Formats: sequence, structure tokens, C-alpha cells
Amino acid sequence: MRNILALIQRFYVTLLFFGLLGLGLAMLFGSNNYQRSAFVRHSTDLVGEIYSRRDHLSQYLRLGEINDQLALENARLRSRLPSNFLITDTSTYDVADSLHRQRYIFRTGRVINATVTRDMNYLTLDRGEMQGVKKDMGVIAGGAIVGIVTSTSNNFSVVMPVIHSSFQTPVRLNGFYGQLTWRGGDPELARVDDIPKHARIQVGDTITTTGYSFAFPAGELVGFVTDIDDESKESFHVVTIRLATDFRKLNYVEIVSDLFREEIESIQKAQEQADGAIDH
Amino acid sequence: MAQSIIKSILRILFLILLQSLVVNKVQLLDGLILPWIYIFGLLMLPFETPRWLVLMVGFTVGFIMDYFTGPMGLHTTACVILAYLQPIIQNLLAPREGYEITQRPTIQKMNLTWYLTYAGLLTVAHHSVLFFLEVLRFNDFFYQVLHIVLSSLATLLLMAIGQYLIFTSKSSES
Repeated sequence: MRNILALIQRFYVTLLFFGLLGLGLAMLFGSNNYQRSAFVRHSTDLVGEIYSRRDHLSQYLRLGEINDQLALENARLRSRLPSNFLITDTSTYDVADSLHRQRYIFRTGRVINATVTRDMNYLTLDRGEMQGVKKDMGVIAGGAIVGIVTSTSNNFSVVMPVIHSSFQTPVRLNGFYGQLTWRGGDPELARVDDIPKHARIQVGDTITTTGYSFAFPAGELVGFVTDIDDESKESFHVVTIRLATDFRKLNYVEIVSDLFREEIESIQKAQEQADGAIDH
Repeated sequence: MAQSIIKSILRILFLILLQSLVVNKVQLLDGLILPWIYIFGLLMLPFETPRWLVLMVGFTVGFIMDYFTGPMGLHTTACVILAYLQPIIQNLLAPREGYEITQRPTIQKMNLTWYLTYAGLLTVAHHSVLFFLEVLRFNDFFYQVLHIVLSSLATLLLMAIGQYLIFTSKSSES
């Protein structure tokens, strides 16, 4: 017993080192993505407050650029006003209110902190649960996708952007479905997998969202094809795309909520359970 | 003594804020150069600080940085390794008679060569752990090495400039 105590006394610095090192590594690798974002969640209210103050200061420096962006947005929205359109088909126009039910609502938000140079990037928005933002909602900016909300606090939320190595979402390219992923490096380039080789695609083709996930409505812009690699023996194209969103200049975003999400999820779940019951 | 402790704590907090609010916003060459100057607060700890305390301070500083910037554990691990190596490097570089009680690990109290060796070794160690843990793959090996070398040089340069700006030769008490 005395020997053990003497040993501990002699090597306590090394023991402490390995203890703390183990603790650090456990934090890094022991937590899966969800727990990791739960940590972020604890930090958002405190750190979010500090970041939003900094943002208030640094925003003045970018007012010119923001003005340009807003003017552009205004111009685009004004061009969509009904008074700018010739009504060619009165039947659909008149009954729009009773035939169409709104599926998506858009809330505005501002990016108050962002990283773009890492492999696991995050954005922090100045909207949280009190403003109706929930986990798994989609985030878009100027009609192009940005990411998905991973955690929320009362007044802030953290978004996993497309440029995060764990991000995935289904996309559509010339009618075919693929998976959008990002593998680190250039924040402008991403990859689309699972597009079969018989699909005819060209550099410059547009990639949009499918509407299959609840995060994004169908047809939101994702990016444009810049490179197609057919070297591999697999039966899928390897497509490199240029993302439509410039994550370095992101400022105002819209948070998408799907009003039918719960309803659709509940019937899908019921169906899965019914199928599961047959299997057993 | 008490004054020196308070100064160390204030310096560390100031550097963490400076790092997360200002320096992280500066991305040179698309993030190829990313200085982590907050470790300056650790490198400045007096020579006579007990080793266990250096480790605990390293752990705490890393934890706070993680709290500010993203995946938990990243800076914690890098800072604990830095804090373990720091006294070892100090011993290796010690003058024959050992350090005097008035000496501090600064350019003014030691000299430029001593400081660049001391801070250079520790900065490279810290940055290497940090960047390889974050990326965790070796396929862009040369890019990573360039990243580490350039970022370490930027950190060293900023720390050296900081010392010339902050401490005149008279007022470098702590």
C-alpha cells in the first residue's frame, strides 16, 4: 500500500496528464453528433450573447454590402408582385385561397457567427425557440439552401451548414435523385453521389432540392455542376458541384418550417410500424 | 505573487476573447493561415508554476476555447499536451545555473533566440495536435503540413510583436 502511494506521489504529474488527456479525447470522440450539438446548445445562450454583441459592432463595417443585398432582394420580390403579372388563367387565380393550403412558412434570421475553414463548420442564428425555430428545420438564403438547424436555445440556434462533413440531403439533378455531401476543403465545392451513369448530365446543369426531406421545399437551388468524373467502375457518376450559397458572405437567412411535417411523419411512422408487425 | 496570479488570469481571459472575437474572423488565404494566439497566455506562465497547476490551467483554457468555437475536446486535448510539454522544454532550455527568480519566459527577460526556440517548439506541437485532430485524415498531408507551418509562424510572429508592444524593458514584472 505504501509503495502504491509512493508511486502515485512520484508520478502524479504524468497521471494527471493522462487523466486530463483522456478526458479531452473522450469529449472529442465519445460524443456523437447529437451530444456534441447539445454541448453547443448549452453554450449558445451565453456565447450567443457575446457573439451577437460583436456582430452588432462589426455589422457597421459591412453596411454597404448589406444594402446591396437587400436592394437586390427587394427588386426580386417586387418583380413577383401579382400586379406585375398578366392574369392568363383566371380559374386558378381566383380560387387560389380555397384550393391551396400553405405548407411552408419562412422566418427571417441573421447569422451572428459562422465558421467556414474547418471540416465541421457551424452557423449561429439570432433566432431560437421563442421565435418558433425548432430542431431539424431547414435554412435557406436568397432561394439557395444553407443548412439544417441542429440545436436551439431560447433565443439562438445552431445550424449545421452544407459545408459540414456530416451534412447530407437528397437532391435532384435532371430528374434523378442523388445525395449531397461535402468532404472538407473548399467551401464552394460539394459532391453529389448516386446519380446513375445512364443519366445525361452536363457541366452547368442545375441541382435543386427534392422536397423529400422536411427541411427544404422542393425546387430550392443547391448549385451547379462543375465537374463530372466517370473514371470509377461503379455505376454512378461522381459529380462535383459549385454551391449557390457563398458561406463566407452569409448574413440574412430564412428559416423554413413545414406545417405538415407532423402529419406526414405520423402516417409514415404508422406505415413502418404496420410493415414491421408483418415481418415479425 | 497575488498580483502576478491576477495578471496571469486577466491575460488569459483577454487572449481568449481576442482569439474568438477578432483573430478567428481573420482568414488569410482561405483559412490556410489560422493563428491561435490564445496559447500566449499559457506560454507566459512563470517558471516556478507547479506542473500540476500548468496542466489544470491548460485544461481550463482549452475547455473555454472549445466552449466558444465548436466541437468539445479539440482545444482541451491540444492544450493539455502543450501544458505537459511546456515544463519539459523549459528544463531542456534552462541555463546551467537554472532560472533566476526574476526571470520570466519573455523575449526581454531571456533573449530572442531562447524565446523563439521555446515558443516555436510548443506552438508547432500545439498546432499539429489541433489540426490533425480536427481533420483526422492524412490524405491532404502536404496541405496540412503547410497549414501547420504557416499558422505556427503567424502565431509566433504575433506573440513576438505582442511582447514588444506590451512590455517595455522596465515594466515586464509579471
